[in-house]
Amino acid sequence: MRRILLTCKALAVGAALTAASVTATFAEDFKVAIVLPGVITDGSFNQAGYEGVQRAAEKLGIDFAYSEKTAQPDQPEALSDYARRGYDLVIGHGGEFQESVDRIARRFPDTKFLIVNGTEPGDNVATMSFDFPALGYVMGYVSGKTSETGKAGYVGAQKLLFYVQLGEGFEKGFMDARPDGEVFTAWTNDWDDVAKGKEAALNLISQGADVIFPSMDNAVVGSLQGVKEKGAMAIGIYYDAIADWPDTVIQSAIFDMRSALGEVIAKAQAGELEGTSYIFGLETPVAARVGSYSDRVTEATQDEVTALIDKIIAGEVETH
Amino acid sequence: MIDLLTDPQALTDFLSTSLRLSIPIIFAAVGGVISERSGVFNIALEGCILGGAFGAAVGAYLIGHPVGGLLLGVFVAMMAGLILAGLAVGLAINQLVAGIAINILMLGLTSYLARLILGADATSTLPGFGPIAIPGLSAIPVLGPVLFEQDLLTYLMYLLVPLSWWVIYKTPWGLNLRAIGDYPVAADSAGISVPKVRLFAVLASCAMAGLGGCYLVLSQVFVFTEHMSAGKGFIALAALILGRWNPIGALLACLFFGLSDAMQLRLQFNSPDVPYQLFSMVPFLASFLALVVFAGKVRPPAAIGIRYERGGK
Repeated sequence: MRRILLTCKALAVGAALTAASVTATFAEDFKVAIVLPGVITDGSFNQAGYEGVQRAAEKLGIDFAYSEKTAQPDQPEALSDYARRGYDLVIGHGGEFQESVDRIARRFPDTKFLIVNGTEPGDNVATMSFDFPALGYVMGYVSGKTSETGKAGYVGAQKLLFYVQLGEGFEKGFMDARPDGEVFTAWTNDWDDVAKGKEAALNLISQGADVIFPSMDNAVVGSLQGVKEKGAMAIGIYYDAIADWPDTVIQSAIFDMRSALGEVIAKAQAGELEGTSYIFGLETPVAARVGSYSDRVTEATQDEVTALIDKIIAGEVETH
Repeated sequence: MIDLLTDPQALTDFLSTSLRLSIPIIFAAVGGVISERSGVFNIALEGCILGGAFGAAVGAYLIGHPVGGLLLGVFVAMMAGLILAGLAVGLAINQLVAGIAINILMLGLTSYLARLILGADATSTLPGFGPIAIPGLSAIPVLGPVLFEQDLLTYLMYLLVPLSWWVIYKTPWGLNLRAIGDYPVAADSAGISVPKVRLFAVLASCAMAGLGGCYLVLSQVFVFTEHMSAGKGFIALAALILGRWNPIGALLACLFFGLSDAMQLRLQFNSPDVPYQLFSMVPFLASFLALVVFAGKVRPPAAIGIRYERGGK
């Protein structure tokens, strides 16, 4: 197992306490660990998870550790290792951790587990996810209003529930903005293959799509590169991607894993984490919101979308 | 799917996608043939592609020209090859174990160094090779733009595949190579240095795989991302088996794999009922079938994977 174990003492604590007192208080300190399926620099899902824990740890002054690129067969062992070593909150970063956590959670009743994008909470198992269809819907709406060809493409890696929902929301939003429009979907079956991500985007563009919404990990970069070359438009994911792709990205679905994880970790530290699903939608903009507009999106559309978001929060719009 | 038959532009796009997806594995598979013909399993193709991609990105980034990337990419891949040759040929360590070790090493090392060197610029577009249309040939309908409106590395591939076939089958050097892969004792007694030829074969093999990585970065996506080889080295291993340890066969196998990849991306729109996983499975299924169908008719180089010690068994 390629596991990088870095226990980072949060800087805030280090600055405030002397070395001796750090050791003395160590046993009572709240500790959090996160196990990630990919690398922490993917500019996407894994990086967001890592930085979420890192920032929360800094802010709250707690210890944290992480394991990156943990393959599925190694995940139960990585999780239980942290539980055994006394980590109070152990996070499995991704829906695929549901099974491993189910298998080991009962053996560690004093440890809280959190599954990001998990589906089934339990006694000491909380799940956290976003309202994917809602943001997908808003992105679809923006795309529908901005598209010139009336066609858009959604590129996903694997048909995991949340990514299917994101695509469905996107499609519904696009069609509501443009009833005569069309949305294509492509699944590449690979989260990291940038070349395939690019070809998938090029393929959709050659079918007439001029707005592409990729939702993989590393492979997103490939799709965006393809969109950039063709001068088409793209929707960013997880962060305000327009900063890196100024001429390409017209809006981003920001699932602010960093802030959302921060909220949940703060709850856990306060001992308030329950075995339920924490779902962050547009009503909690700190965790799920839209990013910056490119100037390719008209002012009128921007105003419409602002009103639309209020409607979604009020529950007046069916997003999927 | 029907649009491919009626719309020449759609067919051109589809074939271009297939070709682009297959080029990195063609480089790697032909590289693999060279090494395996000399009797050394090159499981490290995956690591060499990744090393090539990393070197290409860093070279292009630091020097600001794709040729810098090409040189550094091939160099990094050859360094990986040097380690493989050192372990598998020099120290006679199990070739599979050495190859796997190199893959793991390259994955960690390139990720670490890329974070260090490229850092915040990781998503900025690197200088790369643009398409050069060959006058006349590129005007051929459908196939012209697919084959002859390509970048430098694709034309290099057109050259290297027949060249490696010619070297392996038509030159004394190739005869030495094949002799060592089949019966090193005889080759050794004829005065051919087994370790030397194997060293060169492994280096050439890794340089080729490195070119595949260079193609990914300098011709295809113009960025480096961690683990961007994404298993292509292993697909190349399947292709060289399907291609029966022959560069031309490996080329055809890779084109077939590229075609099924492109099919996977395209078929989804027209027939959403066909599960997309079906097409991801095709390369492996085909390799399996080839192993069964060709069993007995084709065999790998006889001495492959067996370490050679002069005077030993």
